[in-house]
Amino acid sequence: MTGDTAHNVPAFAPDVFVEGAGGSALVGGHCRQCGSTWFPTAERCPEDGTRLEPIEIGRTGRLYSYTVVRTKAPFGLPEPYGVGYVDLDDVPLRVFMLLDPAQVDRLAIGAPVRLASATLGVGLNGEPCRRPYFTLLTDTQ
Amino acid sequence: MTAVVGIGITPFGRHLDRTIAQLGATAARAALEDSGLTSAQVEAGYVANALGGMLFGDTTIGQGILAELGIRRVPVLNVENACTSGSSALWLAWNAIEAGQMDCAIVLGVEKMCVPGLGLINSGRSEIDTQLGLVTPASFAMRAMRHMHEFGTTRAQMASVVAKSRAHGARNPLALFQRQETVADVLAAPLVADPLTRSECCPIADGAAAVVLASDRLARQAPRAIRLNTAVLGSGSYENLADMVRWETDSRTARQAYERAGVGPEDIDLVECHDAFSIAEILHCEALGLCPAGEGGRLAAAGETSLGGRIPVNVSGGLLSRGHPVAATGVAQIVEIVMQLRGEAGARQVTGARTGLAQCMGGDRAGDTKSCTVAILSR
Ligand SMILES: [Zn+2]
Repeated sequence: MTGDTAHNVPAFAPDVFVEGAGGSALVGGHCRQCGSTWFPTAERCPEDGTRLEPIEIGRTGRLYSYTVVRTKAPFGLPEPYGVGYVDLDDVPLRVFMLLDPAQVDRLAIGAPVRLASATLGVGLNGEPCRRPYFTLLTDTQ
Repeated sequence: MTAVVGIGITPFGRHLDRTIAQLGATAARAALEDSGLTSAQVEAGYVANALGGMLFGDTTIGQGILAELGIRRVPVLNVENACTSGSSALWLAWNAIEAGQMDCAIVLGVEKMCVPGLGLINSGRSEIDTQLGLVTPASFAMRAMRHMHEFGTTRAQMASVVAKSRAHGARNPLALFQRQETVADVLAAPLVADPLTRSECCPIADGAAAVVLASDRLARQAPRAIRLNTAVLGSGSYENLADMVRWETDSRTARQAYERAGVGPEDIDLVECHDAFSIAEILHCEALGLCPAGEGGRLAAAGETSLGGRIPVNVSGGLLSRGHPVAATGVAQIVEIVMQLRGEAGARQVTGARTGLAQCMGGDRAGDTKSCTVAILSR
């Protein structure tokens, strides 16, 4: 799932993740007023209405739970494909995310994971697009 | 106090030759006839339908259906609240009568969804989670994986929920599935989302269910009135970190219902809950306090939730075997409990049932449900 580049392929949605030389990260929303972080981000903090500021989060985490979906995949995703909830290492958030389609037979609760991204599936209008996903750390070291 | 004075329901299944309006009118007419009241006595209508707008471009169907029954001029509301559409309509009607706004209202849930090309239900195509592959079975499959991890719940225990459901469904002529299925059969079915097989996911269906609610004043004349003690509607807390196996929104809604009805889990004789998946029934049994957290799988496998067991759950067959016409389900649960409390449930009668509980949930947001309802009824 690595090696392809982001050239001219749009992200599946804005303000969800970034791709750079340092790898991929999720884009959360940080509240200066109460210190909370939200993912996906929103305009304002649901707790106090403060305008949220973008913050890069979630480069690594641990798998809280997962499943492998074996029905017809939506949005041109691979069949089968994995999804899971990941407890992020850097902020106290449990986020839903795609998992590396190449690893669906090796997933385990508690496994350390790292964020990656690739051209994966299609967008709302059927166009190829970039999506973030977590990949098992043990496979990439 | 509010009572259910009339019930009506169609068989759940494929009604390819019938429109939403025909299905809805059939159930509503049956409920009105069962109540012994006339259409002129109905002061409001609450009509739930979740998918008609998306599938057929049908909106505000309630007025048309009820007009055919002669219910005109009065307030009619169309209600969409995902899988709790029907139970949310009930909640609205219950509140109106409790508030003294009216003496009689009809509640109808109707769905026609057996159409070609209907994919897996999700929580809205534009939601980020949906675009990252979150289909409803995946959401519950992840809960199942975590439940197995934390509590040692086995796939066989989860499958026993389905085997029990099929046995119940076989006793309900209104149910879509009428055939027994063993634990081995359930586990041998194709995987939909690990560890859930196709048998552990509820089937879609067409169908309609209706109830007539009445105030004390009116219910006094109804010989077979069943009290609707309380109806609670809540929405998600969307807490992060969400505990996926101790469902706060589920247990909070249950607790509110118990408090308001002045009863506890030990007082309940039968439960209809939102068993959209095998694991869902296990989680709801725990949230409703029928067993301690983590024990739901063992509860089902031990037969305690079977007809004749300590606390029968989904004796109608539930969503898993009766089928799940989305907006009809919440009302169908009430119809089933009323039949049971009247002693009119035939081969699936829970002997001596006095108090029943109905629970529904719908929608998916941030690892939580968007909507949750609990109603408690008694005779
Ligand atoms: Zn804040």
